[in-house]
Amino acid sequence: MTEEIKNTTNDRRHFLKNIALGSAAIGGAAMGLFGNSDPSTGLFGVQKANAADDARLKMAFIKYATDTVSSAWSKGIEDVLTPQQIVDYKLLDGQGKAEVQVSLMDTLISDGNSVIFLQPVDSVALAPSIQKAKRAGISVITLNIDATEAHAAHVEMNHYFGAMDIAKAMGDAMGGKGDVAILNAPPGIIIRDLRTNGFVDGMKKHHPEIKIVADQVAEWSRKKAQDVLATILAANPKLGGVYGVNDAMALGAVDVAKDKGLIGKLVIFGNDGETGALESIAAGELTGTQFTDVHQQGRFAASAAVVLASGMVPATAFKKQGHLLMPYVIATKDTVGQITPAQRW
Amino acid sequence: MQRRPASIALLAFFLVTVGLFCLFAPNFATTSNFENLMSGFSFVAILAMGQSFPILLRGIDLSIGAMVALAGMVAFDLTMLFHVPGYLILPLVLIAATGAGAINGILIVYLRLQPFIATLATLAAYRGVVYAISGRLLIPKLATTPITDPWIVGIETYFDIGGALGISDYVHLPWFPLSFFLMIAIFITFQLLLLSTKLGRDIYTVGGNQEAARLAGINTRRITIFTYAISGFCAGVAALVLVARLTTSTEALGTGMELTAISAAVIGGVSLQGGIGSMFGPVIGAFLLGVVLIGLTLLGASQYVQQILTGAILLAAVCYDRYLVVQRQRRAAANVGANT
Repeated sequence: MTEEIKNTTNDRRHFLKNIALGSAAIGGAAMGLFGNSDPSTGLFGVQKANAADDARLKMAFIKYATDTVSSAWSKGIEDVLTPQQIVDYKLLDGQGKAEVQVSLMDTLISDGNSVIFLQPVDSVALAPSIQKAKRAGISVITLNIDATEAHAAHVEMNHYFGAMDIAKAMGDAMGGKGDVAILNAPPGIIIRDLRTNGFVDGMKKHHPEIKIVADQVAEWSRKKAQDVLATILAANPKLGGVYGVNDAMALGAVDVAKDKGLIGKLVIFGNDGETGALESIAAGELTGTQFTDVHQQGRFAASAAVVLASGMVPATAFKKQGHLLMPYVIATKDTVGQITPAQRW
Repeated sequence: MQRRPASIALLAFFLVTVGLFCLFAPNFATTSNFENLMSGFSFVAILAMGQSFPILLRGIDLSIGAMVALAGMVAFDLTMLFHVPGYLILPLVLIAATGAGAINGILIVYLRLQPFIATLATLAAYRGVVYAISGRLLIPKLATTPITDPWIVGIETYFDIGGALGISDYVHLPWFPLSFFLMIAIFITFQLLLLSTKLGRDIYTVGGNQEAARLAGINTRRITIFTYAISGFCAGVAALVLVARLTTSTEALGTGMELTAISAAVIGGVSLQGGIGSMFGPVIGAFLLGVVLIGLTLLGASQYVQQILTGAILLAAVCYDRYLVVQRQRRAAANVGANT
């Protein structure tokens, strides 16, 4: 088991603690508790004097690229920040390029942002920028993709254990035997390892007779996944299952299955739980996905941000990086109806 | 050397743009922001200067972004896989990148390929090589391990010039990144090469009229290969700067950078018709793009607006270049008419 996985296990142990922290944060945010408290009176509340004094806070989210997940996170973040009335928030596109994200980080640091939400393109490449932000007293909160440099908080989907559960569900659907392929993300991102290792370990644990015959990069892309899977199928005509480490790649696999008349024969699982994937599951095309309420994920991150920016809990007070794993549901045709319209994204 | 009033106009436009953002964009006129501009766009200026050489020859190098990735991955592999010391990695990376650029020139010269086609092919090929040699794909754990070799990460060093000059009590100067000084060194070297050497004059001559240059006894093949090799060399330097900045390299490094480099060169007055331009324009062009991007981000403008504005500036530069070409042709026709 890798060190990262051990960390994940530890994180899971602290899951309830983190959930409690997160719940307190979001509850507090909803009640407007994150303005500075008056030590003499003990009264809480966002102090309107701050706004009047032009002491508005700046926060920004540098997303990986334009996609449904980051848009949903941003909506969740805004759900919490907008009612605070003292936060100027902006959403910036990293264009899938580490160098662009680094440049945007520099600009936001110079602009005096209080908190930067970040979905790093690469876990290592953004580490020096996070270090720079910390030196400037800026809290960085990463979403889903962690960075190698410790920072204020990391709010992520439960990649490892979710992928283990996907492996179990996929193996069950395949009758416990057969060949599967993984449509993977580019290297350099910790969640790639977590989602892949979780799936591989899950197969070993629950369905040791299932063989992983291909693990190829499809760059998060539906189109790329179509091309990659077509090649994999040519080499492995008896392929029984496909795991896309995100829904876009899984839906690309669905496209190929439709073209080749393999719907119902090929077991296809995705990860994330975007609306398109849930609709595909309901239509009997995609077999399943790991659904996470990413609006809620954004709200958790924003709540922590407001706590940090209020000055009540400085980033330096975090001896260890805060780490919150989101709860999830393995959505299949049997369970997809449980996901309410408000939770869909 | 082809001096044009356009350089003065470009500099004036750049200064006016900086002035406007200083006035209207919050926190634009800060030392840290100018530090960001230097560290974030010096490598773009280096790429733009490299790209200018093929354009001076009426060519283009679409593979410059892929060469950045190739050079970056060579640096990554040498340090992370083979543990080669940094002082050897630096020249090896530059040799690899220069070689990749020279291959472009060889394809154009000996296979008689259009530069657009030849470099489009190598764009794909070099990117493929990056994936093939990627140590990150070979050993995934390396993908989340930063490069720590002091020779490489030392490129991302900042210098307190104000403090060194003893003027920091009076003037608050930004700290200057080493990449900025690298850019200045390359600028001076290439500008001198173009201005003061026979090779430089030959480049302008070949770019102005290749057939006339050949008839005048200039080795046009050698000049062509040389210019593409320069483009590769600049990609190598830019890659080292980026790898130092990111403490890693990625397979996607430099994606789309060819368009930025071409834009900066063209905005900087390097004529797509060949034979006209200097190193001054591309440097200003690169920093102009940086000022616009940073300024609009600080103003809170959508990034789509930034892209539209960047495209508009590029379009204006191309139209202006075309206007100058037509003007020259008219003057030449008038001179011919007057002499007959």
